[in-house]
Amino acid sequence: MAPDQIVFWVFAPVSVGSAVAMLFQRNAIHAALFLIVNFFTLAVFYLVLGAPFLFAVQIIVYAGAIMVLFLFVIMLLGVDREESLVERLRGQRPLAIVLGLGLAAEIFVTARASLGLARGPANFDETVNVGGNAQALSHVLFRDYFLPFEVTSILLIVAAIAAMVLAQRRERTTVEAAGEAEV
Amino acid sequence: MKTPISYFVVLSAVLFAIGSVGVLVRKNALVIFMSVELQLNAVNLALVAFSRLHGNLNGQVLAFFSMVVAAAEVVVGLAIIVNVYRRMHTANVDDASLLRW
Amino acid sequence: MLRSVWLVPALPLAGAAINLFAGKRLGRWAGILASGLMVVAFALALGVLAYLLRLPGNERLVVRHLGDWISVGSFRVAADLRVDPLSVTMMLVVTGVGAVIHVYSIGYMDGDPRYGRFFSYMNLFCFFMLTLVLAQNFLLLYLGWEGVGLCSYLLIGFWFERPLAASAAKKAFVVTRIGDTFMLVGIALVFLRLGSLDFSAVLRPSIESVQPSGVFTVIALLLFAGAVGKSAQVPLHTWLPDAMEGPTPVSALIHAATMVTAGVYLVARTHVFFEISGVALTVVLVIGLVTAVYAATCALGQDDLKRVLAYSTISQLGYMFFALGLKAYAAALFLLVTHAFYKALLFLSAGSVMHGLGGETDLKRMGALRRAMPFTAAMFGVGALAIAGVPPLSGYFAKDQILEVANRSGYLIAWLVALAGAFLSALYISRLMFLAFFGQDRTERAAHESPPVMTVPLALLAVGAVFGGVLGLSVTSGRLQGFLAPVLGELTEGAGGLPTAVLSVISVLAALAGIAVGWLVYGSGKVDWVALRVRFAGVHEFLAHGWYVDDVYSTSLVAPGKAGAAFLASAVDQRVIDGCVNGVGQLFQWAASRGRRLQTGLVRNYGLAFLVGVVLIFVYVGVRLS
Repeated sequence: MAPDQIVFWVFAPVSVGSAVAMLFQRNAIHAALFLIVNFFTLAVFYLVLGAPFLFAVQIIVYAGAIMVLFLFVIMLLGVDREESLVERLRGQRPLAIVLGLGLAAEIFVTARASLGLARGPANFDETVNVGGNAQALSHVLFRDYFLPFEVTSILLIVAAIAAMVLAQRRERTTVEAAGEAEV
Repeated sequence: MKTPISYFVVLSAVLFAIGSVGVLVRKNALVIFMSVELQLNAVNLALVAFSRLHGNLNGQVLAFFSMVVAAAEVVVGLAIIVNVYRRMHTANVDDASLLRW
Repeated sequence: MLRSVWLVPALPLAGAAINLFAGKRLGRWAGILASGLMVVAFALALGVLAYLLRLPGNERLVVRHLGDWISVGSFRVAADLRVDPLSVTMMLVVTGVGAVIHVYSIGYMDGDPRYGRFFSYMNLFCFFMLTLVLAQNFLLLYLGWEGVGLCSYLLIGFWFERPLAASAAKKAFVVTRIGDTFMLVGIALVFLRLGSLDFSAVLRPSIESVQPSGVFTVIALLLFAGAVGKSAQVPLHTWLPDAMEGPTPVSALIHAATMVTAGVYLVARTHVFFEISGVALTVVLVIGLVTAVYAATCALGQDDLKRVLAYSTISQLGYMFFALGLKAYAAALFLLVTHAFYKALLFLSAGSVMHGLGGETDLKRMGALRRAMPFTAAMFGVGALAIAGVPPLSGYFAKDQILEVANRSGYLIAWLVALAGAFLSALYISRLMFLAFFGQDRTERAAHESPPVMTVPLALLAVGAVFGGVLGLSVTSGRLQGFLAPVLGELTEGAGGLPTAVLSVISVLAALAGIAVGWLVYGSGKVDWVALRVRFAGVHEFLAHGWYVDDVYSTSLVAPGKAGAAFLASAVDQRVIDGCVNGVGQLFQWAASRGRRLQTGLVRNYGLAFLVGVVLIFVYVGVRLS
């Protein structure tokens, strides 16, 4: 058994397990922690697939920054609030599960039919990741995808401004006060 | 590397399906949001796997962009959730059903 | 001079526009402005006449191109004015009589709250009438034709607060519309079969070879149907007596002198078609003769001053059509011109009587008015003598010539019937004269003479009524007849018949007999005419109701039409159409009331639906690809 196969078979169940576990947590903090585990396993898969740069980004941005942000908001809104797992919408849960299984099955069938057991080029690191993955990726990113890359910077700035605008506490007008009194 | 690419794709599909179910089943807006993140990551996994299959870096670049967009989306999404919570004092999406008949 | 011929219709149009928008502010000046413009237009028309008279007889045709009106593919209609003896004659009548009546209206309409609007409508009418007579093609003529119909409607219903006036206006509009519709079809047929609407291209004798004569018969009869409606001939005559609800100057201008003669003008203008057809000419003759006698009998039974004159107008128009049917177009036009004078005079005198009596029109409440209104009585007398056909007044010459042509034409019966009509004309007009101005005073209030602004126009028209005859002293060699000959052709003398002098004596005798009988019954005091009408109540009612033609129309056409309309309105519209509309509305309301339950407002429901779609699309793509 090759090392990468060992890695896959070890981490794949962990990945699926942590994802499923996330679904069953009543407490949002626990769900977030399971999600972090899931993100780490994905990072490992990136490493196996020859993407060490994305491995680093996954850990730093996702498991680090984004999940911290999540936890921060959870704290802000109150940790102790636990979600009731009772479903009020009839048929929602079984339908959702059936549809989820159906989607997975469909992709499974499609992947089996079209990809089979294809593995891609064996010497990926030598031919594609020339001079290291980060260097090769930067060549592609700053040559072929230069404009989209710059546009993402605008997107991030807009998102930051939007977050500030949305999150700032506004002066309470009488109308809003009345609305809240009703609630 | 001996693992067939389709294994990763199927794993990605399973994670995506779990994320979908999470979106539909959970009621806490934050957990729903986490499920969305799970779906995005599942797609990223498939993209990286395809990158490996085709022997070029386009898939990895796309996954990178997807992460950037996800970061922006999380920021805005969380700000909206905070706002909704401020107004309705709840993060339960079933309670925020003002746009109904 | 001919460069400014467009000004003749343009001046009244300008007056109409000014009075429409500023009539209230102008006050009394509205009438002076409108009348002044008509006088200027008349002067211009005289200038055009002078210019035309300087040209040699067969070159008296000028077409002034003002611009293109419609130009679609091969269909071209130009806004051209045609100046020839016929149109100039009509133009002079319209502007001349029109100007006099405008001046008269200044006095008659004084104090009316819609004074400015009245003159606006009157000016507008003159514009359309001039467009009608000056048009160089059928479509422009039709524009004027419908325009005068509109103005007629507006002016009959000028006092629309009175229900009678409003319904009379509606009736006039609808009844003439029947004829107009036929006429429009006829115009379409002219373009379809003859390829052009231009008078110069179509109205020439050589057009005969283009189509079989049946086509010309159809065209001529359709055009004549329009003339029948507009000129109130049998069977479309019923609107004209009711139209007397309008102000009296309107009756004089529109329903005596000008608009109702448009039909005569149309037939004279298109006489080429009628002659090619032959059959159509006979139809014109018969309709004209029937109308002339029928309306004369009806006039005998009327008690309303203006309705007598209305039936008299119908009768006189019948004479004109009768003359047209005999190909004596110039004689018809001669009668048209003289009739315009004396009928306008009679109407305006009647208006003067009404003015003096505070709006009274019932003959039963008049009598002996010659003492209170001597001038009006004299003027009315002049008009009455003219219409009765007493020499040397204008009416005598015109009527005498028509009778002469009838005698020579070989239709002896037609001549006798027309002679009977002449007798009846003299009878009803003398009845009117004696009932209103002689005999016992049956008035309910003190009458007074009208102001000069009304009596001076009467005098002007009286001059025309007396001396109009000099225009055409003889059938063949009269001045007007010679002037019109290039357009209407020379009258071919019929063979045989009685000598002219004998015919003249006979027609004068008929007129004098009519007057004598009228005097005997209504003027002499020897016969109790009230007792007479009680004794012959049935006959009187029959005549008073115009042989019950109107009642027959009401029961046979109007009532079923109303019932049908009521059925459509109540059953079809309310149930079927409204039902369909409401049903569609209810369907959607029901569907929406159910369908809106889908909008739960729950994000997760929407997400579920979204996922269903995703899965189904995957299935579809998978099936397509495999």
